[in-house]
Amino acid sequence: MNPKEEREVEILEDIGSKFDVEGKIQRERRIWISIDNKELIKLCGWLKNQGFEHLSAISVTDWVKEGRFEVTYHLWSYKDKILLTLKTKVDREKPVIKSVISIWEESAQIHERELHELFGVKFKGNLDLSSLFLEDWHGPPPFRKDFDWREYVRDEFYDKENEREKVYYD
Amino acid sequence: MTRKTRGKRFTMIDEMEPAPKGTEYDFYFGPAHPGPGNFGVKLKIDGERVVSARADPGYLHRGFEKLMEYRTPIQNAVLSDRLCVLEPLNWNLVHAEAVDELMSIDVPERAKYIRVIMAELSRIQSHIIWYGVFSKATGFDTGFKMAFGYRDYILDLFELITGGRVYPAGYICPGGVRRDFPNGARDKILKVLDKMDEMIKLEELENPALDARAKGVGILKVKDAVRLGATGPVLRGSGMKTDVRKDEPYEIYDRLDFEVPVRKEGDAYARYMIGIEEMKQSIKIVKQALEELPEGEVIASKFKKPKVSVKMPEGDVYVRNEVARGEGAVYMVSDGNGEPYRTKIRGPDFLHMIPVLEYLLKGTQIADVPAIYWSLNICPADMDR
Repeated sequence: MNPKEEREVEILEDIGSKFDVEGKIQRERRIWISIDNKELIKLCGWLKNQGFEHLSAISVTDWVKEGRFEVTYHLWSYKDKILLTLKTKVDREKPVIKSVISIWEESAQIHERELHELFGVKFKGNLDLSSLFLEDWHGPPPFRKDFDWREYVRDEFYDKENEREKVYYD
Repeated sequence: MTRKTRGKRFTMIDEMEPAPKGTEYDFYFGPAHPGPGNFGVKLKIDGERVVSARADPGYLHRGFEKLMEYRTPIQNAVLSDRLCVLEPLNWNLVHAEAVDELMSIDVPERAKYIRVIMAELSRIQSHIIWYGVFSKATGFDTGFKMAFGYRDYILDLFELITGGRVYPAGYICPGGVRRDFPNGARDKILKVLDKMDEMIKLEELENPALDARAKGVGILKVKDAVRLGATGPVLRGSGMKTDVRKDEPYEIYDRLDFEVPVRKEGDAYARYMIGIEEMKQSIKIVKQALEELPEGEVIASKFKKPKVSVKMPEGDVYVRNEVARGEGAVYMVSDGNGEPYRTKIRGPDFLHMIPVLEYLLKGTQIADVPAIYWSLNICPADMDR
């Protein structure tokens, strides 16, 4: 093992002793952790106290075949210089997850607002989930895998009867 | 005007009784202003004071994250140019590194050096624009013209090396770089760096207008900066010594000797001075990299002939880089196909232009809005994506 990875192992063991998680060291300075979404807030609060005070990003991956959204939190520790990626899954039919706004405050707020708009994931506890980029958008959340933007554009903006525009329907 | 009198003036306004009901008005800063670009801030104003600010993004939303799901890494390399108009090469690098890591590609040594040289040149020209728009915002129009004049020297270099002046069309691509330096590129880069030294001297000239408008304005404390998600020059201007190039060296940054400039004040002036210091450090980096530039291949054999379809193994990576504006990152998930299953792009301005800006503008005077706004080194392109 690389001597530099000692701190990573230490953190991973520490989390493993307190929470029910699956974790691995992906490479130097990268820890990957999966947790059930019920324990998420508790773990996040604990992690912030351990020095993971910079929320680099929140992301959602739409695993449409599994019927789940995977929400990932990318946390950076200025103290240890380690990035920890926290993964949790939510049901695709009922995508509700607790907000981490109480832990990372404004920076979490804006990431959650974006993901709510693009994936339709609801963050319970985040009071401002108004639209961010897509003003006057009435379609389904556009970044979902089952949203076909080509089809949407064609149906919304092109006319089948129109001589020039009917080529888009071929 | 000293900071003291400024501070006093602030308290005087704060002590004033709130305006009678109905005298507050909305002021829309942007989106068609020549400076802010495709971005607006809705300000609520009471007399001279900004009561609240709400960012209004979305004018430049192109959905790159979704577009990338339909394209192969080679096509996405070209697409990644457009993530930020002012620093396409830096974003090229973030994307290329994500693919490299996902496919476990060994990038040739020479390509690593060229990548760093190009990224640092891109950082210099981006900081020059920062100086230009910041000068314009504080009423020093000559600075703006100077900046765009000197930036052109670097654009000439980009044209020579990549073929494109502003957009390099994916010059830094997965596996290395598209092509080697042409003949005479090294001497030309050194000549341009001399010009940049000249530019820095001009930037450092005393400018009373700028001092008066930027000192003590838009103070961001380090605790707030971390909470709001600020990174890069904004965070360093608040006194936190952090730089992805040092904290988590990528490419060849661990072999190079450079400093990370930090200032404690946290005001607009401190952020602006960080920009100038960083340009000096970037010049130092480029000179070192040119000195040590090894011979050899510039692209891994897998990507030598650009194939349209390349299979990426299953997995996910999170790659962080220090782009000119702060922390730029890509989270790439692959399900084993040619196209990435999901690409999340984390632009520094997403945080700088929404939470940080809203926080800084609240309670300031309307005349300070431009100085605060441009001191954050903003670019709507990587915020909207």
